[in-house]
Amino acid sequence: MAHIHLEDGSFSLFFALVWWTAAIVLVGIAVWLMRSEKKPDRRRITLAAFCTAAAFAIFQVSLPFFGGVHINLTPLIGILAGPAAGSLVVLIINILSAAIGHGGWGLIGANTVINIVEVFVGFTCFHLLKSTIPDLFSRAGIATLAGLFCGNIVMILIIIISGVQGVNQSTGQILTGLSLIAAVNMGVAVIEAFITGLVVAYIGKVRPDLLGIERS
Amino acid sequence: MSSTMISSHIPDLDLITSYAQREGTFFSRVSPWTKFTGLFLVVLLITLTRNLVICGVLYLIILGVYASAGLPVKKLFAWYTLPVLFVISLVGIMVWTEPGTPLFSWDLGLVTLTLTDNGVILIFTLLLKALISVTYSLFFLMTTRYQHFSAMIYRIFPAPLDQIFLLAYRFLFLTLSMTGAIFKAVRSRGGGIIRSIRVQGRIFAEVFALVFIRSFDRAERVHQAMIARGYNGKYEAGTVIPKPGFSGIFLMSAFACAIAIIVLGMPNPGGFF
Repeated sequence: MAHIHLEDGSFSLFFALVWWTAAIVLVGIAVWLMRSEKKPDRRRITLAAFCTAAAFAIFQVSLPFFGGVHINLTPLIGILAGPAAGSLVVLIINILSAAIGHGGWGLIGANTVINIVEVFVGFTCFHLLKSTIPDLFSRAGIATLAGLFCGNIVMILIIIISGVQGVNQSTGQILTGLSLIAAVNMGVAVIEAFITGLVVAYIGKVRPDLLGIERS
Repeated sequence: MSSTMISSHIPDLDLITSYAQREGTFFSRVSPWTKFTGLFLVVLLITLTRNLVICGVLYLIILGVYASAGLPVKKLFAWYTLPVLFVISLVGIMVWTEPGTPLFSWDLGLVTLTLTDNGVILIFTLLLKALISVTYSLFFLMTTRYQHFSAMIYRIFPAPLDQIFLLAYRFLFLTLSMTGAIFKAVRSRGGGIIRSIRVQGRIFAEVFALVFIRSFDRAERVHQAMIARGYNGKYEAGTVIPKPGFSGIFLMSAFACAIAIIVLGMPNPGGFF
């Protein structure tokens, strides 16, 4: 997943607050959507909690590609938990991550906005492509790539808009540096798409009900 | 290395919780709200200042508090790997063309990369800020009881966010342990040996899928068990959180005043916009 790997003090107070506010608004909408359900699904809360724990555990695993990369499976969270619960899940993962030094407290807002985009795009693509691409592996892979691509764009936009404190480069110079990071991120996104495709295909075989598919 | 630990460079949640529950230090008796306010003020200060000396002094103070609480300093330095790598991976790219007095240049043919004094100061400042934040966060986690954290989550977040958070926090230890066990099983059967990206990807994908499927299975079992015990959709964390004492309020007020004096007293503080 795209994640701003910067710690506290990288963004100015104003921009830290701007992105925190944006995240609170998005999470507020998700909370409101979940609360306004006529028949609250208690099971979904328990599933979302386990989804959070599983995603956080996987996030700690370093994969032996390109010297070690990590993935967060945010589009997979969207596919499994849906965009509303998924938005809450990514906020909690970002808070837990900040607590152990993976991203700063001040950057939780920006990172949550990025991850909510990934969750939403992943979920939307996976469901929109249902009739066009019935194969679970390909559909989940494409949805993941689309989600992570959008997340990367939002990440670059957030850093360009906010700037990094103490960096006195021009927008063009920052963009050049960020393009390199985005290229690496997209390389990792291909791996994450492949893994998500396999995970969804495996879940589709073993527990299709988790994907809303009737057992044949 | 505990059973829940997947990588040695990532803070061990079992060890952190063990220190927190042991309550063997004076700081364990300080109100969690005081320490939470301290976290907010520390983050505020490092957001508002760009001064390397202030960051250095603040880091040494927090490291001193961490060590005096009897928390593991060697482990802390090992846990610094992740934030240090993150800062270097992003800022390491940006420092090369930073305006300032050139220290050395690197001619790559098409482009010449120049490292300046401002570039070096920038990377050290951001590194110090990262270490300050991580050290204080871990100090907070390792001196605050699990029950108090749960009660804080219950009070701060709205439903159903608090419910997902509380359940996830409870399940986290089980899931980490399960993931660690699966990886141990994979490694003991030769799964750690790097083959092709496709084979390696498939192994990891199956492990991840298994983590998710087992988590969902466990979620359903736990959900049924909770319903059988009277769960009505509301997981309450009713532990009373100790209120901040007079000394805690005084200390945090003094810290807030110090931040105001430092930030407003500097000729070009920055950090606001």
